[in-house]
This record gives sequence, C-alpha cells and structure tokens, in this order.
Amino acid sequence: MGYRRKVRIRKIISQSTVDGPGNRFAIFLQGCNIRCLYCHNPETQAMEDAEAQEMTTEELIEAIRPCVPFLRGVTVSGGECMLQAEQLTELFRAVKALAAEMHHPLTCLLDSNGTIAFSRYPELMQACDGVMLDVKAWDETVYEQLTGAKTNSTVRENVRWLLEHDLLEEVRIVCLPGRVDVETILQNIAEIFDSIGKTSPIRLLRFRPHGVIGELENAPMPTDEQMAQLSELAARYGLQTTIR
Amino acid sequence: MSDIYSIVTSRQLSYEQKVVALAHAAEDTLQVLNIPEQTRRYMEQGVICNLNEGNAPYRPRYIMPDYAKAVRQGVKFLELDPPQDLDELLTFLQVLYRHVPSITTYPVFLGDLDQLIEPFIDGLSDEVVKKKLRNFFIYLDRTITDSFCHANLGPKDTRAGRLILDVDRQLEQAVPNLTLKYDPAQTPDEFAEQAILTSLCVANPAICNDVLNSRTYDRYGISSCYNILPIGGGSYTLTRLVLPRLAQMTEDKEQFLRQLLPDAMRCMADYMSERICFIVEKSGFFESHFLATEGLVERDRFVAMFGLVGLAEAANHFAPGKKYGTDPEADEVAEQIMEVISGFAAQYECPYCEIANHRLLLHAQVGIDTDHGITSGIRIPVGDEPASIYDHLRHSSRFHRYIPTGCSDILPFDITGKQNPAAVLDIVKGAFQLGQKYIAFYASDSDLVRITGYLVKRSEIEKWNSGQAVLQNTTQLGAPTYASAHLANRKVRGV
Ligand code: SF4
Repeated sequence: MGYRRKVRIRKIISQSTVDGPGNRFAIFLQGCNIRCLYCHNPETQAMEDAEAQEMTTEELIEAIRPCVPFLRGVTVSGGECMLQAEQLTELFRAVKALAAEMHHPLTCLLDSNGTIAFSRYPELMQACDGVMLDVKAWDETVYEQLTGAKTNSTVRENVRWLLEHDLLEEVRIVCLPGRVDVETILQNIAEIFDSIGKTSPIRLLRFRPHGVIGELENAPMPTDEQMAQLSELAARYGLQTTIR
Repeated sequence: MSDIYSIVTSRQLSYEQKVVALAHAAEDTLQVLNIPEQTRRYMEQGVICNLNEGNAPYRPRYIMPDYAKAVRQGVKFLELDPPQDLDELLTFLQVLYRHVPSITTYPVFLGDLDQLIEPFIDGLSDEVVKKKLRNFFIYLDRTITDSFCHANLGPKDTRAGRLILDVDRQLEQAVPNLTLKYDPAQTPDEFAEQAILTSLCVANPAICNDVLNSRTYDRYGISSCYNILPIGGGSYTLTRLVLPRLAQMTEDKEQFLRQLLPDAMRCMADYMSERICFIVEKSGFFESHFLATEGLVERDRFVAMFGLVGLAEAANHFAPGKKYGTDPEADEVAEQIMEVISGFAAQYECPYCEIANHRLLLHAQVGIDTDHGITSGIRIPVGDEPASIYDHLRHSSRFHRYIPTGCSDILPFDITGKQNPAAVLDIVKGAFQLGQKYIAFYASDSDLVRITGYLVKRSEIEKWNSGQAVLQNTTQLGAPTYASAHLANRKVRGV
C-alpha cells in the first residue's frame, strides 16, 4: 500500500464513546504545545516519552481494520494532534480508502486545542470531517494563566474558519469556576455564530481532578447547579449545549 | 406418594406453586411415551435432558398466539368481543393471557405489544396512555410471577413503542421481558437509541436482529428465554443435549463426532418425535383448546426445538489446554461439533413440523439452575471472554449462524454507555451485520440483571439469599445461578 508516514502515538483505544459521535477508534498522539493546568493526561505533553511509539499509517490502518463494522469513525486526539498535521493527511485518506473498501462509512475527526491554524493544512482539512475544538478561555490573560501560552488569537480564528468551512463538529469548554471565563467564551462564540449565520453544538465539560497533577489536583468539581446555570446562560445566547 | 405428600405439606412452595407441582406429579405417574433403553440411559446420565417437560405432554411447551388476529376477531370461548378502545384492549389481553397454556403455566409470549396498542391510542395524551400502561404492566408483573414471559417491540418506530419504553424504565420490574426487533432499514436510530438507553437503565429490552431472524419464518416472535418461534404457532417441545456430559465419555474426538454424538442425537430426536406425536395424536390439545379451534394457533405452525448446551466445555474437552472463545484450536473443534449437529438436524425427518420443512430446529439452550460448569448454549464461559468486545461479537456471529430458534449474548456495559447510547447502537449494528442474532445488555450498576436470559433484581436475590420470601419464581432460579455461574464476573464492556 505504501502508507509509510509515521505518527508518534501515546495510545490507541479501539472502542471509545467519549471522543465524538457514536463508537470511535481513538488515536492519542504524543506531544503538546501548551500546558493546561487541568490536563488529564500530562504524560502526553512531552514531545518524546519512553512510553510513546511510532506507528506507520499502514500499521494504524491494520489496527483499525478489524474494528470497522462496529465504528462510526476515527478520532485523532492528543496531546495536540495538529503538531503532526503533515502525517495525518495520509492517515485520514487511508481511513477513507479503508471505508470504501469495506463499504462502511467512517468519519475522521480531530480533537484539537486550536493553537495551530487549520487553514494552513487544506489537504488535511479536505480529508477531515470535523474538528472538536477546545476553547479553553477567551480572555488572553485567563488563557495564559491556564495554559502557559501567550495568546489564543489562533484559537479564536479557528472557531471562525472551521465554522465557515462546516468543520466545527463541536466546541468543548472545560468548566472550572474561577479559572475559566465560561461566560465570556459563550458570549463571544454566540457572536461569531450570529455573524456567520451557522452554529455548532457546545459541550460543557465538568472539570474533573482525575489524572490532574500540580496546582489543581485537589480543585473541586463544579456542582450540578453550577453546570446547569452555565447551560441556561448558554441558552440565553441561543447556544445548544450538552453537559458531561 | 411421599413426593406428593411433601408437595402438599411444603412450607416453601406458595399455593400456586403447589398446584403446579401436583399437576406435574400426577402427569409423571403416566408412562405413555415409548422410550428405548439407550435413550433412558442417556437421560439418566443427564446427556439428554427434557427440562422437566413431564411424561405425558398435554400442551405444546411454548405457545405463540396470534394476538393481532384475536384482537380483530374476538375470542368466542372467552366471550370477548373485539376491543374498541384502549381500556377494552388491555382488559382483553389480560384475560386472554390468563388462558394461554405453557410449560410454566404462565404465558411465555405477550405479542407485538406496540403494534397491538398503537391503533388504540389516537387522541389520547401520552400521560393518559402511560398511566394505563403502568397499571397494565404492574398487573402483569405481579400476576405472571415468572419472568420467562416476553413482549416484543419494533421493528417500526411507534408512539406506543416509545411510551412502553418510558413506562418500562420508570417501573424497573422484571416482567414483561421486552425485545426490540431491530432492522436498520426500518428502525430509526433515535428509537433504537431510546431502547438501548432503557436497557442500560433497566436491563430491558434486548435487541434482536430482525433481518436475520425474519428469514426463519414468515412471522416470528420472541418468547421466554429468547426463543424465536412462529407467531400463530410455537414449539411442541424443547429437549436439550448436554454436550459436555457426552464429551466426558471419550477422549477421542473422532469417536465423539462419528459415533457418540450421532447416536445421542438420534435418541434425542426420536424422543422428541415421540413427544410430538403424543401431543398431536393423543392429547387432544389441537381438537379442543380454544386457541386451536378459533385459529389463534395452527397445528402446522409448531416446531421442535433441538436444544444444545455447553458447546464451550465440549470443545475445550477435545482441545486440552485451549479455551473456546479465544483459542482457534478450541473454536475449530466447536465448529466441527456444530457441523455434525446441524448436518443431523438437516436430514432428520421430524413429524408434524410443516413450518420447519419437517426438520428439527437448533436452539442454544441457556441452561438451568442445576447446571454447574456448563455454559449456556454456545456462549463463551464467564471469565474466558476475549479482551476485545469486537472479537467477542465476531466469535458469537460465527456460531449464531447455526441456530435458528434462539441464541443470544449478554453483555454488561460500563455505566458511561448511558451517555452515548448511539455508540452502543454502532456496536449492535456491527455485530448484526456480521451475523449476530440477538444481544442483551445491562449496565454494570443496574439492579435488574440478566441471568441466563430472564431478568432478576439483584436486591431480590439478596432478599432470597437471606431467607426471605420473594414473589418471582425466577428469583429462586436466578439466585443460585447468579452465584454458581459467576455472573457477577461477566466481563464488563467499557464504553
Ligand atoms: S491541550 Fe490537552 S494535552 Fe495539551 S496540555 Fe492542554 S489538556 Fe493537556
């Protein structure tokens, strides 16, 4: 077949119900370009790690093949998947070829922190069916305190670009009162949706301390009431949310 | 005599249970079936097991009345006119169910409930319908005190079907068992997802592959423990071959496949024929029972279920050190066994089985409470399941294809499945496409659990184990099976 591109992988899960619609094959890449305080998988942050491994597109396809009848698609997550954007084009094309061969449609989704502009990778975006985009904060200072990254201007541009290109599968917001400016995010997203005249589902993720190390490892989870309030607020901006 | 005395004076049996046990004891005083010496020997060894069907069968084991026809034409014997509204329908069904005979004395099949109800709910609000259905279901649960009782839904999406699922989820009870007939071309995802979500909450309904099962007969229903049988008919008998007990008799696989197995099958098939002839020719059931005389069942729509149990242990016996479910060698032996069995069923001429082309139909019998170390039908033993759920389902599909009258897998799912029933549906779709015929699941935290096929409440098992009386007969069967078959250790599938 000649699918020889290599991807640095942390782990693969052949059956995931939390990485997009339906049952999915999830590929978690090694390496991230930011450092979120609430990261569940800090072990995936370093670009190199003893537990990471390289896999060729071909090897990944052979791992996916026996699962195909049970899958709605494949999700590439991280770490940050877009750090290996070059290699993913081949993977997504190969997944589509596999789907055609097995007469079973498969969607290819990216789960990204949005720090890299999708517009720079038109070929990848052509093979990709959608992006689940983390919007971690709207205000730059809040964003920097949370992620260590100076600016989120690319994330904001990505919201717009993905929406315009019908590729915004969902917006994900991790809710942690006092740390994340959820209200501001919702308000700004609503404005973008209005200005473009399209929408996308919003998923409000409850902060969970599971796996988190450092400052937030003992931070409390938001309560049901707090989550419900945020969901109501979103509804006032005309946004459809689900809570998880 | 002493047996009968002990039934009469028992403190453990309820009044109804005594009546049934006495009838059974009376029946067993007769010796009307011609049972050759060799067959008797197999029965004593527990190789052939008639599942307590009794010595003189006076009704078919499983009866699947054509309820739709009954609703259209009324039932003269019961002085029931065709119902005109929902109240009349529910009363009609309650009365009719009460008079459907079966091996358990309770009806094992309640019909395609959504289709029966749908024409009667126009103009009624959801709340009104649900209140009536609640009462109907409570009546069924408390009077049919045995959860080998099954109602069917689907494959089409109906308002009645959705309301039934709603009520079922609220009530959390063991009766009736529900099965959704699922066909991706007819059943919308949304309806199937509602069914799956309900199942992850209350272990009900199970999902049946409508595409494959429709090929067995023109109209089928699911009764009792996943028996796939013709509507307007049923099954005369279910006798089972306990494969591991037969396998124990030799170490030589070839001898097993060429001599022992064919001999035992021939004895069992002749025994089943003998039972069938007695029911049809001597018992008078088809001449006198109103279900037959009013055309709600037809004699030529009855089949004979040739049951199998413990394929796993039999295969493992001839593949020492290997495990059915994960080792290709053991699976290969299992396949050879199934080829011999289905080859036999395809050539044996069985009397009065017109709808099955005069053939015996194989059934993956789910087991009984006294089976120890014998796995249900063709299932993989608890603890030996493959690590990947896909491999598990692929394996089942490979063996389900041999079994027309019912085989199933039961999968406990991690509770996160509740947040994404669409993902569970994707898995069901894949399995069905590969040839899986029937899947039941429950969430690992659910009070209701599936034992071998029927539902029991974990809380009721605890009550029974601590010496308290319980309403459902099946709790008494389920409590020891839950423990002895190590069902709490079933591999939980994370989703
Ligand atoms: S973007 Fe994701 S992987 Fe990277 S640090 Fe944040 S939470 Fe962790």
